[in-house]
Amino acid sequence: MQNRPLLFILLCFVLLSEGFRPKQNQSKLSPPLQLKGIDSIAMRSVDGSQSSLKQYSNAKGFIIVFTCNHCPFAQLYSSRLNALHTQYSSKQVPLIAINSMDSMMYAEEGFIGMQEKAKKEGFKFPYLQDAAQTFGKTFHAEHTPQAFVIWKDSSHYNIKYQGSIDDNGQDSAHIQNHYIEDAVDALLNNTPVNVPNTESFGCRIFYRKP
Amino acid sequence: MNRFILMIALFWSIGIKAQYKQLWIPDTLVGPTYQLTLKDTFAQLKTGNQTITGGINQNSFWGPTLIMYKGQQVSLNVQNTLNDSSTLHWHGMHLPAVMDGGPHQIIPPGSIWKPYWTVNNQASTLWYHPHLHEMTLEHLSKGLGGFIIIRDSQEAQLKLPRTYGVDDIPLVLTSRRFTTNNQFVVQNVAYGDYMLSNGVMNAQIGLPKQFVRLRILNAEIERGYNLGFSDNRTFYIIGNDGGLLNAPVAVNRVKLMVGERIEIMVDLSQDALNSSIDLKAYNSNQAFGFPGGEPSTNGQFGSLLNNTDFNVLHINVIASTSNPINSLPTQLINNTYLSSNDATISRTINITNGNPGGTPFNFDNSSFQLNKINKTVQLDAIEKWTIANNNVFGHTFHIHDVQFKIVDRNGSATAVGNYESGWKDVMYVPRAEKVTFVARFNDYADAIHPFMYHCHFSNHEDDGMMGQFVVEPNTSIPTQNVRQGFNVYPNPASKRVFIQLDQPDLGIYYITITDVLGRTKFMLPQPNVASGIDISQLSKGLYTITLTDNTFKQTISKTFVVE
Repeated sequence: MQNRPLLFILLCFVLLSEGFRPKQNQSKLSPPLQLKGIDSIAMRSVDGSQSSLKQYSNAKGFIIVFTCNHCPFAQLYSSRLNALHTQYSSKQVPLIAINSMDSMMYAEEGFIGMQEKAKKEGFKFPYLQDAAQTFGKTFHAEHTPQAFVIWKDSSHYNIKYQGSIDDNGQDSAHIQNHYIEDAVDALLNNTPVNVPNTESFGCRIFYRKP
Repeated sequence: MNRFILMIALFWSIGIKAQYKQLWIPDTLVGPTYQLTLKDTFAQLKTGNQTITGGINQNSFWGPTLIMYKGQQVSLNVQNTLNDSSTLHWHGMHLPAVMDGGPHQIIPPGSIWKPYWTVNNQASTLWYHPHLHEMTLEHLSKGLGGFIIIRDSQEAQLKLPRTYGVDDIPLVLTSRRFTTNNQFVVQNVAYGDYMLSNGVMNAQIGLPKQFVRLRILNAEIERGYNLGFSDNRTFYIIGNDGGLLNAPVAVNRVKLMVGERIEIMVDLSQDALNSSIDLKAYNSNQAFGFPGGEPSTNGQFGSLLNNTDFNVLHINVIASTSNPINSLPTQLINNTYLSSNDATISRTINITNGNPGGTPFNFDNSSFQLNKINKTVQLDAIEKWTIANNNVFGHTFHIHDVQFKIVDRNGSATAVGNYESGWKDVMYVPRAEKVTFVARFNDYADAIHPFMYHCHFSNHEDDGMMGQFVVEPNTSIPTQNVRQGFNVYPNPASKRVFIQLDQPDLGIYYITITDVLGRTKFMLPQPNVASGIDISQLSKGLYTITLTDNTFKQTISKTFVVE
């Protein structure tokens, strides 16, 4: 074909662009999630230290919240996350915020941006960068914000709740379901979690291709 | 007792009115330079939780209306702050393929794409929307898109309503299905359950007691709208996709299918002040194959709005403006249309596949491939394309680059409706019908970058019901015998870099600037670099500038430092 060299150039254009094109997340939450070893995954905290769940030797469980710097819907939750952390860290259920966004793709999600956000919004909880996206992949996290309540059962953790933080992002006065509080309170009282699963939504987390 | 009944009636009517929300009128941007920032955001569409949406500039669903003038050179700065790649296509615009915003002009997150062109289209209502292959449905569903209104001197001379948002109303029709948590459903969905007019549910507007103009766009996934007014009044189609008709066409119903626009005028001068009238979709009892005529109310092809009549816009008649349009022009403009005899090339495209569980709908049994050119058209050719739908369902066919004239339906010129007698870039192809158009492919040849043709149902397009064509120059492509080279100066730079070409005659086809981690920062198609490239937005660091020349399409790179 006459245009073969030109077609090749066109293909190069496309491939170049495709390299930057995040693919749709195909993975739906496909239970059972294997959380074995998650307490050993070390991530950099905005205070500069390396942090892992293992350091919280007294923790009964954790509120894990996948969040990020730029997502406007995730930004609505900063003060509510502080309140959750304050409420439950003294009960050995600390809140840990994780940024699993691909900072290679989205410069705004880089570590300096995380430090700036944590400072500006007065995060009282650890904000960790999941630079290799290992933590996010382990949880099959799909959005920011997306919350998990995990509970320690002898030597490993089980997911007891996953989904939204509550049911009204912008208007906290009209929240009808405090999913996290309800789940953690139930677990602290050794009672079943009534709503173990809700829909998560927000900005999509895209995972780098291996 | 009568007073009591009156009171109840009054409260009832107030209650009815209270359910409506004011139609949002998009803000306007006037050129010659337009800044469009795509962003992740959210909107309060239903009671309870907010819906994750995509916005443009300050808007949270649907973007600003771009006002352009024929003959004007316009420059667009499209900044993608989404956390996903996207594209922005200028639907209906006649412009170079490399500026067109199709699936090849992918704008990665954090990048700025700077297309520019001279507006050649006549006065018309166009629109812009994402066109990223396999993601168009999702990005369109989020609300990314906007109107383009082109004005010209011919249209300006006519006595037509022209005061934007007052007697000249942009109206984009779509519907959405929501999850229990108020989020858009974007997979396995052909129809929404809730009507959104300019992004507003149960929309109402006050319109003056005179002739008003509605510029209506169907930006649905699949649904068609059989539009009419609740009192069955006559209204007048004055424009199709590509501009004004020769003369108004009187109708009391018109089908507006996905991607199509119509401009209508409706006379409210005889309506009582404070009276109301509804613009409605009369979608019940449509022929089999009409998108949205299916009987079911749920599932992939069901919807609460299927096979029923529903409100599109509640209109309250308010006082007339100081300079009302009180009559309808008998003539509009003199279009010189193409006819079947003008065409020197004929092509037929068959709509194929689409059986449940099998290959999705495609053209000629071939699904879209980004690196396959399906058709090659010679510059200045006048071609006749027949789209044959011996298939199970209706579709809308859209072609980039050109405005066309529909010349026959099933071989009959008289079967082409007066309502679709103007310039078009989308046409409805019902099942068991062949529809033929004629178009001239002039002005913009590019043997590399293709234009698209596709079904404008975004789910069908995403699934591969799309092809691409290049418009080939009439001159032969030169054999490469000169190598391009260039220098970047100053280096280091802080605000602006300049390009010095070793072979200026070869021209520049494309420049990209990437940071040290390979993130694209700028995409500059066919840039004019005489006054340098503004890099003041770049943070300090090392960058690579990659230049493709316009003659041989050689690609070479240099690095420079921003300090």
